[in-house]
Amino acid sequence: MAIADSLIRVTDLKKYYNHGAIKALDGVTVDINKGDVMVVIGPSGSGKSTFLRSLNLMEMPTGGAILFDGVDITKKKVRNEAGKMVKLDIDKHRQKMGMVFQHFNLFPHMTILDNMTLAPVQVKHISKAEAGEKAKKLLERVGLADRADAYPIQLSGGQKQRVAIVRALMMEPEVMLFDEPTSALDPEMVGEVLDVMKELAQEGMTMVVVTHEMGFAREVGNRVLFMADGQLLEQGAPADIFEHPRHPRLKDFLSKVL
Amino acid sequence: MSISVSGFERTFQYAQMFKEGMLCTVYLSLFTVILGFMLALVLAVMRMSNFRPLRFLAMTSDGHAREEGFRAFVSRFNPISFVATVYVEVIRATPMLVQLFIVYQVVFDKDVINLPSVTVLGFLKLNRFLPGVVALALNSGAYLSEIIRAGIQSVDGGQTEAARSLGLSQGQTMRFIVLPQAIKNILPAIANEFVTIIKESAITYTIGVADLMAAVKAAQAGTFLVLEPLLVVAALYFCLTFPTSKIIAYFERRMRRGDRR
Repeated sequence: MAIADSLIRVTDLKKYYNHGAIKALDGVTVDINKGDVMVVIGPSGSGKSTFLRSLNLMEMPTGGAILFDGVDITKKKVRNEAGKMVKLDIDKHRQKMGMVFQHFNLFPHMTILDNMTLAPVQVKHISKAEAGEKAKKLLERVGLADRADAYPIQLSGGQKQRVAIVRALMMEPEVMLFDEPTSALDPEMVGEVLDVMKELAQEGMTMVVVTHEMGFAREVGNRVLFMADGQLLEQGAPADIFEHPRHPRLKDFLSKVL
Repeated sequence: MSISVSGFERTFQYAQMFKEGMLCTVYLSLFTVILGFMLALVLAVMRMSNFRPLRFLAMTSDGHAREEGFRAFVSRFNPISFVATVYVEVIRATPMLVQLFIVYQVVFDKDVINLPSVTVLGFLKLNRFLPGVVALALNSGAYLSEIIRAGIQSVDGGQTEAARSLGLSQGQTMRFIVLPQAIKNILPAIANEFVTIIKESAITYTIGVADLMAAVKAAQAGTFLVLEPLLVVAALYFCLTFPTSKIIAYFERRMRRGDRR
């Protein structure tokens, strides 16, 4: 893992509540490289969602640094190219990080097409026609071309999550963050969402995935992080993590979920 | 006291006054709604603003913001939100009649703001009508702002997160995602407030606005009838309020698109 490929460099990330009485994240350090499919596993309350949500500052960390594109996005002010201190434009960085949520969070008052074209049109200022064209191509890829004019309420859970994924892809992100994307789905719909994610991984998209789907972690992931009590306890290739776990907490966790 | 057909016939001799009174009430309500809604939007935005001039107190030397402790508490003080909150609480905790008299007798006193005695929109006396509108708007703005704020806060936080994760700014998220859903949620409450404004505008007759209530007083004084003019005016108010709530209910149904199918 060459340092030059590092896309997101997380250093000693901390998130404390109640004066440090609750440590949701307690010093997590990890490099996320281009093309990584990093799967984060761990018991509930281990801080894996907090970790993921910190990466695009949905949660503001208490301490530590997140270097993305060479900029520490946890700082309020950063040095620009000219060397002047300017206010950090977090929106600009978020455009490059797609996020998929457990509860889909599609916009219920808009059609599927409008859900997808809103951000590209408003933020990237591409024309509505062009965005629509692109949206239809993406919808076709996930088998939902005929639902472009439907409203989210008319879709099944699996369909909603597939739309949520392509909605994030519309912004052409450099990395995709998945926060338990299949946890709110009926069991028979988990597969269709995982298939889309797998395809995305094979195309070389950098992905960070918080999930309880151990099969996905083993098959698609190239790195697995195990978190507990806000700490990163073990990381490695899926085969190592699942076949030769070292940390007792990981052994205990795997014995319960596998 | 009895009710009679001839009593109504005598009341209807004042039809012209009732007509002008009704128009006056409509204008009063209309301007109040417009002004009040603009004020409410400003107040709601103020109360939800993120302006914290003392923020630097919570900054650590390496550029992070502390979240806990006394300095963090002080750093969260938002003077804009504070002013709006005080305004809303004071307006809601004092009688409308007192507010009306303060506006009419103090603010629009001829030594402070001297309005010319001219008529506007045909027959409305500006120096009575304008203070009435201002007082009503100041009052309804406070109530409407609470409705708007509740509506905005009722929108699921996941909606904001999704919008922001796509790179939309705070303002764009408000405009395209939160407000459309919030307005749909609060339309019934807004309709209720609009109806309340129409009814409460009757209070402005106490400062001499020639609205429907003034027409009643004139008819009562001219005919020595008590009941008939009051029944007529009650019917006229109903004709104003009932369609208003029905029209908003229609828009509410139309905005249900995407809710259930």
